[in-house]
Amino acid sequence: MPMNSTVSSFFRNLFRRSRVETELDEELRSYVDLRAAEHVRAGVPPDAARHRALVEVGGIERVKEEVRDVRAGELVQTLLRDARYALRSLRRTPVFTATAVITLALGIGASTTVFSVVDGVLLRPLAYKEPDRLVTLLHLGQGSVSPANYLDWRAQLSTFQDVGAAEWWSPNLTDTDQPEKVWAMTLTPSMFPLLGVPAMYGRVFSRDDEAGDHVVVVTHDFWRRRLGAVPKAVGRTITLDGEHYTVIGVMPPSFHFAPFWVTRTDVWAPLDLHARAASRDMQTLRVFARLKPGVTLAQARADVHAVTARLDSLYPATNRDVRVTPLLEQVVGDIRPTLAVLFGAVGFVLLIACANVAHMMLARATAREREMAVRSALGAGRGRLVRQLLVESAMLALLGGALGVTLAAVGLKVLIAQSPGSVPRLDTVALDAPVVLFALAVSLGTSVLFGLVPALQHGTRDLSDALRDGARGAGEGARRSKLRSALVASEFALALVLLVGAGLMIRSFRALSHIDAGFDPHGVASMIISVAGSKEEPAERRTSFYQQVIERLAALPGVQSASAINHLPIEGDMWGIPYTVEGQAPPKVGQEPHTTFRVVMPGYFRTMRLPLVQGRDFTDADRMGATPVVIVNEELARLSWPGEDPIGKRIHVAGAPNDTTWQTVVGVAKNAVRMEWTAKPEAEVYVPYLQDRMLMQERSSWVAYMTIVARTSGSATVLASQMRGVVAGVDANVPVSDLVTMDDVVAHATAGARFDLLLLATFAGVALVLAAVGIYGVISYGVSRRTHEIGIRMALGASRRELLGMVVGQGLSLALVGAAVGLVGAFALTGWMRSLLYGVRATDPLTFAAVSAVLIIVAIFASWLPARRASRIDPMVALRND
Amino acid sequence: MPPSNTNLLQGTLDLLILRTLRLGEMHGVGVANRIEQITRGAFAVKPGSLFPALHRMEEAGWLASRWGESANNRRAKYYRLTKAGLRQLRAETEDWGRVSAAIAHALRTT
Repeated sequence: MPMNSTVSSFFRNLFRRSRVETELDEELRSYVDLRAAEHVRAGVPPDAARHRALVEVGGIERVKEEVRDVRAGELVQTLLRDARYALRSLRRTPVFTATAVITLALGIGASTTVFSVVDGVLLRPLAYKEPDRLVTLLHLGQGSVSPANYLDWRAQLSTFQDVGAAEWWSPNLTDTDQPEKVWAMTLTPSMFPLLGVPAMYGRVFSRDDEAGDHVVVVTHDFWRRRLGAVPKAVGRTITLDGEHYTVIGVMPPSFHFAPFWVTRTDVWAPLDLHARAASRDMQTLRVFARLKPGVTLAQARADVHAVTARLDSLYPATNRDVRVTPLLEQVVGDIRPTLAVLFGAVGFVLLIACANVAHMMLARATAREREMAVRSALGAGRGRLVRQLLVESAMLALLGGALGVTLAAVGLKVLIAQSPGSVPRLDTVALDAPVVLFALAVSLGTSVLFGLVPALQHGTRDLSDALRDGARGAGEGARRSKLRSALVASEFALALVLLVGAGLMIRSFRALSHIDAGFDPHGVASMIISVAGSKEEPAERRTSFYQQVIERLAALPGVQSASAINHLPIEGDMWGIPYTVEGQAPPKVGQEPHTTFRVVMPGYFRTMRLPLVQGRDFTDADRMGATPVVIVNEELARLSWPGEDPIGKRIHVAGAPNDTTWQTVVGVAKNAVRMEWTAKPEAEVYVPYLQDRMLMQERSSWVAYMTIVARTSGSATVLASQMRGVVAGVDANVPVSDLVTMDDVVAHATAGARFDLLLLATFAGVALVLAAVGIYGVISYGVSRRTHEIGIRMALGASRRELLGMVVGQGLSLALVGAAVGLVGAFALTGWMRSLLYGVRATDPLTFAAVSAVLIIVAIFASWLPARRASRIDPMVALRND
Repeated sequence: MPPSNTNLLQGTLDLLILRTLRLGEMHGVGVANRIEQITRGAFAVKPGSLFPALHRMEEAGWLASRWGESANNRRAKYYRLTKAGLRQLRAETEDWGRVSAAIAHALRTT
């Protein structure tokens, strides 16, 4: 068939439908006339002739249908007609339609919401040039790298087009009205070319930029916020840590480079490695690399393995376990299991919604059997009727999908607002074209799922049968009612799996909430004050500045005590350094035990209510020149002096004051959570601030700051709101950052689990409601169709109790079958959740049992409602009803 | 959707219709009668196959149609062959000759 004539007839048919239709009518009428005329000529009486002609034609509708079918473009016409018809028939049953649309909207809305996150976070490529070729080179896949190692790798690796390194930096932006601690990073000049994104204004660093030049590239956000959002901001000078830096470039808004180990970056400066080029101890660099074109990950790994093995033999214990990880994997790898579980969960919700609508459609099909039989008798082919049913399903699904996308828009807002800060790339998540396409595909896919079953069921019954008893609606085909039962049972199975998932999350969240932080967070507020670049930075002013802030805070009404620490537990940075114990054989290089290094002022333990189980707190007398002292945690004491009294023992912590002096243990503190909420206790040492030269004197934003903590008998939130003013009262040009209450810090530590719990519980709740609606629908439908039978039973002497038991028993047996299948499914599937769980096994019997009980109670209740109705049937009315 | 109740192969029916219309314009009843006649009653073409075929062939550009008066003053739709239809008839006739000769040969020799 020539294409152009098909296309033209497609449009002709589409736009001049009525003319084509009229012509067809006329043509067939004329056919009948001509035939009748022939019969008359052959001697048949006119009436009989006409009748005979009509019989010869057969079903006029059918002929017309077939002509329409061959017409190009007719399919679209038919679908439009079917759609109109479907909408009309859906409008006639508003309760059915509303229930089905809402059910589908819940399923589609939930899955669209989660898909938009999956798409934005996991699936979308990173916004760099050819991001597939970007990898990280890190110890054990996560651990940072020393400068000497980085330089060796860069010189010796052959499978990479380029290698670059980044280091965390947190300078103070001063010489402005609002001093600020800036999120920043220093980068080797190769980093920007490696990422391959050009600047929006100005330029990025090039290889010609000398490392250590005082130039910066800033984010679009920083440029808008702090540089007046004008292109001529390029060339301006800003003050970071008291030194002047020239802004040479502004990146486009879509550019983010704050991968995995920091949450945000505003400013990039060149990284100067000259002074530490030979260092193999200070592991502070994150190394990034771009594969040469055509090089596979396996080849790159072989290359890295060969080079690091060679280096490790030259410099023992410095090049162990260097892993090549794709950058995308590095950025989103941690969140993937969570999203996979959530995506699976919404898939289940969607299936339950489909099953629900499918059995509603089945019930509707039964009720409409007569309508279908009549249309079939009028010559509509089975294919035609099946198509009609499918179009109806599609209309339902599209309505559900439209409402679902609206729900997803709301859901996404809630989800982003509730999400813990740990979800990467959440800013790229949006209800955009791919997501809407997904929703559309899901809608049409589900319509096939829930529409096909009833559609195929149609026409398995004999036509005349349907016409005869369709009127009374007495018997429903045994096959069809079995199908409905199977659908409801599978809803229960699916719901059970979801409920088990939610139950496990509840258990694991409880376990998380019961973890003892070691200190009492309630009533404590904290902030970081950073003196770098301010007039308080010099050693002779720094300590008294900190002390003044603490004194003024302590003088506030309600404040019980105040103190300071270098890094706040959980939220703050964490430095690990090696230590040695007096009287014990020195360990081999690279195998020294490590301890978390804290520097505190007197009163820290009292302020945090972190108990000292032995010994004393530091005092102002523990200063430079006095005996060097430390407080250790229980874990360090246990590891170093098992079964002995640690007080008076001596250790040496590298990086502390005089590199050769021993530090005497004067106290033992209870183990406290260090950074990761669920991590096991590890060694931790507290050094008095007045004995730490680095924190007291060194000029660098690395060390020139303290975290101030204060405890109030009142509200920590109120205290937090007063703290900035206190600092400004001493020196308004010192930036305050990380102003938090300890309660928030602790809540934040479990926010990921709370988030997972919230979502899974929501999905499980929706699933439970849908399953309950499903079982209610099936049982109450069954009761209404069996009114007659129930009437007979009652007339024969069945008691109300027996009837109640019979109907509830049916619901219960469906639920039990579903629950049994669901338990097996849950047992097989909860293993996927293992990485989300804490303190509970994926096959926790208590959860499984409790959840099954809940489900069965819901099933009993949902079938009890219609059962009660059945038991109140008046037998006389039921029997007379015929 | 293919016509489901025809007992003729679709191609055969097309060929017969083209052949019939080569003689001149004809309405549906005329085509059906003529086919019955030339096949000596072997093929009784029912409207259920006839009209879909006519419309399909019209869409394909092989036939053209107009409304006219029948011999006894009844309005009827008349179909005639287009140039493309004539070419199609020639091609299909050749094909048919080849195929039927081949099949006849096959039936004789095996």
